[in-house]
Amino acid sequence: MVKTKKAGTLLLASALTVALAACSGGNNNGGNSASGSATAPASGASSASASADAGKPDTSKFVTVNYVILGDKPKNGQFEKVLAKVNELLKAKVNAQIEWKWVEWADWQTKYNLLLASGEQLDLITVGTDWLDTWSNAQRGAFLPLSDDMLKTYAPQTYANVKPEEWAQTKYDGKVVILPENQFTQWVNHGFIYRGDWAKEAGLPDKLTSWDEIEKYLQYIKDNKPDVVPFDVAAGGSLNMIWDGWDQSFTKNLPLPVTSGFLPMFYAKSYDEPYTAVSPIFDDTFMNYVKKMKEWADKGFWREDVLNNKVDITTQLEAGLTGLMSHHTSQFSGLRPTMDKKQPGSDLQFFPFARPNQNLMATSITHGGTSIGAHSKNPERALMVYDLLRNDKEIYDLINYGIEGTQYEIKDNKRVLPAGYDETRDAFYSDFWGGRNDKLEIPSDQTWDKIDTLYQEYDSYKKPYIYGQFVFDKSKVQAELAAISQVSSQMGPSLSFGQMKDPEKAVQDFRDKLKQAGYDKVMAELQRQLDDYKKLIESQQ
Amino acid sequence: MDSLHPSLPAQPKRSGFQRLMRNRSLLLMCLPAIVFFLIFAYLPMPGLYLAFINYNYTDGIFRSQFVGFDNFRFLVITGDLWRLTFNTIAYNIAFILLGNVVQIAVAILLNEMRAKWFKKTAQTLMFLPYFISAVLVGLIAYNILSYDYGVLNSILQSLGFDKAKVYSNPNVWPFIIVLTYLWQSTGYGSIVYFAAIMGMDHEMIEAAQIDGANAFQRIRHIILPWLKPTFVILLLFSLGGILRGNFGLFFNLVGASNSSLFPTTDIIETYVFRALMTNFNFSMGSAVSMYQSVFGFLVVLTANWLVKKVSPDNSLF
Repeated sequence: MVKTKKAGTLLLASALTVALAACSGGNNNGGNSASGSATAPASGASSASASADAGKPDTSKFVTVNYVILGDKPKNGQFEKVLAKVNELLKAKVNAQIEWKWVEWADWQTKYNLLLASGEQLDLITVGTDWLDTWSNAQRGAFLPLSDDMLKTYAPQTYANVKPEEWAQTKYDGKVVILPENQFTQWVNHGFIYRGDWAKEAGLPDKLTSWDEIEKYLQYIKDNKPDVVPFDVAAGGSLNMIWDGWDQSFTKNLPLPVTSGFLPMFYAKSYDEPYTAVSPIFDDTFMNYVKKMKEWADKGFWREDVLNNKVDITTQLEAGLTGLMSHHTSQFSGLRPTMDKKQPGSDLQFFPFARPNQNLMATSITHGGTSIGAHSKNPERALMVYDLLRNDKEIYDLINYGIEGTQYEIKDNKRVLPAGYDETRDAFYSDFWGGRNDKLEIPSDQTWDKIDTLYQEYDSYKKPYIYGQFVFDKSKVQAELAAISQVSSQMGPSLSFGQMKDPEKAVQDFRDKLKQAGYDKVMAELQRQLDDYKKLIESQQ
Repeated sequence: MDSLHPSLPAQPKRSGFQRLMRNRSLLLMCLPAIVFFLIFAYLPMPGLYLAFINYNYTDGIFRSQFVGFDNFRFLVITGDLWRLTFNTIAYNIAFILLGNVVQIAVAILLNEMRAKWFKKTAQTLMFLPYFISAVLVGLIAYNILSYDYGVLNSILQSLGFDKAKVYSNPNVWPFIIVLTYLWQSTGYGSIVYFAAIMGMDHEMIEAAQIDGANAFQRIRHIILPWLKPTFVILLLFSLGGILRGNFGLFFNLVGASNSSLFPTTDIIETYVFRALMTNFNFSMGSAVSMYQSVFGFLVVLTANWLVKKVSPDNSLF
């Protein structure tokens, strides 16, 4: 009796501890895994491909089309009002209505991927090859392949506005699966945001062109403005982009879409040799970077406890307490008008990391986009609705800006906030990131009106994005990649902010650790896949 | 029931079913707990299989490819596992031992207090930190310890001392972390001990008082021995989680990027966070969890065995 009781409790104890493990297993991470496993290509909805009924699409039946959108559902009721108006128009035009299916930000990666894997009937889906795992989902058959006929018939305006070479970037397994956001200019390339007035005071040109000038600017602030932090960074912000920026400024390397923790470390050699993987971390580029940052740290350009800094940098900048921060073009264009109001005469400027070496790849046209769900019951109508969202001026304005008079007013061809606008009551957003269109965009007084000068600069040296179809299959190197990410996130921040005594030794330690984590194996695998990618691209030409 | 079998000398052992019937009301009372554990602890257990497969959600758990111990590799590949295991265990031992000692001390002090209003106020004040989320704790700590604008450095400066570089000195962090933990958990944990003391037979204390025992003697010889079983049980329970770090506390106090503090503050959870943050992977997460659980299980067994050697009455099984 005693014995059985003992065995029982032992079993119970063991079961409990193990059970705890089972429960908490899912908490440690979110999101998807194993993009590499072989799955059958998309098979769904063969009914859709029967698009022989050319000419007029049949819209006799009223249908509801849903649209998977990333974002938190607005709570002030404005969105519903706008959508009701949109739906009136949609009903009149294509006898359909649309419904937003929000994937809220909390743990969005897991939720989004699970939603796509669930087999639920989804009509339109927001996709993004560089942040939404679109290729892996295409591999798993989440999207409906779209034939030319279908596109021509049901989304004629969109079809006409996407060039053949752009369609090529949206194909999985030879078939179009994404409607790309190819008509929308967005620059999310990083750089330094600095104050033109202080640069002038320091005797520098108002358009800084090199890291040396940036250094002089910072030194001037350090020497002359005791209350200002020359270069302010917050832990957890975009502080990791500075290394990437350094590499962009001093080499012709192109970043590859392979994540590696804090420091990006997988690059292609250059635009002329885009299929050769290189390791700037292991050559002088990185060593020079770390040494320079150590120099900057010793000069006191940033806070002593920079790696734990929890201050909101934008607020600091707006209060005139920051000399320089790092962010991307789009953020800058919104900051500039704010700064003109809060610090008049500050003449906020942007130094894109691309500038010194004219090294810039355009944002992928599939950074935003829309796909049709594989299990959609009404793919034809979904395409028709999408075509209107993207090309119909009235609907476009509604869905992007809200109702004229409530959310915005037009003054001098610009959107301004109406008198009496109340942020809590009237704020509106729809997070429609799957088909914005420059032709229909109305500039806002909330973005800088001279941003075009920057865009022109970019246009003068930008190169098209060439890794649109490159999908790194990490299944063979998962353990190594996880270990590398860890090393990178562990040592990257202190290397980037000069938090060490001897930079040479610190870099050496870092490289040793990376080697130990299996860096060479990942590089070999990356090169192998780049070779395959080269063959794929060449076969398409 | 026994009357049904009047005094048979060699009574055969009752069958399992009979025992079940005899204890049915007790079992019925246990039922909610049993169901709870069945659903939330036993049912998910097959999910541990996740740790051994290359999980992808199209194929599901049982059709994904089996990869053996591959998912554990990222933990050992750089040789950090032992440092992490050591840190995690060392912190937990400090938390468990110091935590319990301080809790017992506080419970006894509260018990000895005469002024009721003071007792209640003190209890409430100590209880409050337990409800402050780790994120806020991290923010408070930063505002105290920050180099340029922190409260600590303002005080030091006004007294004419040099500023302290807390965020680049790994050696002070074990103290900061343990202190923060104690600040947060003492009030809450002392409740259990306080309740145990309340449950004591008051006549024992009175008898001791009549015999001339002073306060210290009463504590040493009556209250502490009385609390021993509670202590041992709490100890055994917490040992099962000895390899589970308090992620919220560490992550928010130390942050994810300050590697100069990692030698003394890196625990398994923070390491895994960095490794898998950008490479979402259910299987690797499960592998870590499995490692922690199996390790915790062995520790519980060992500790229980030790307890049984020393004082058999107090062991769990």
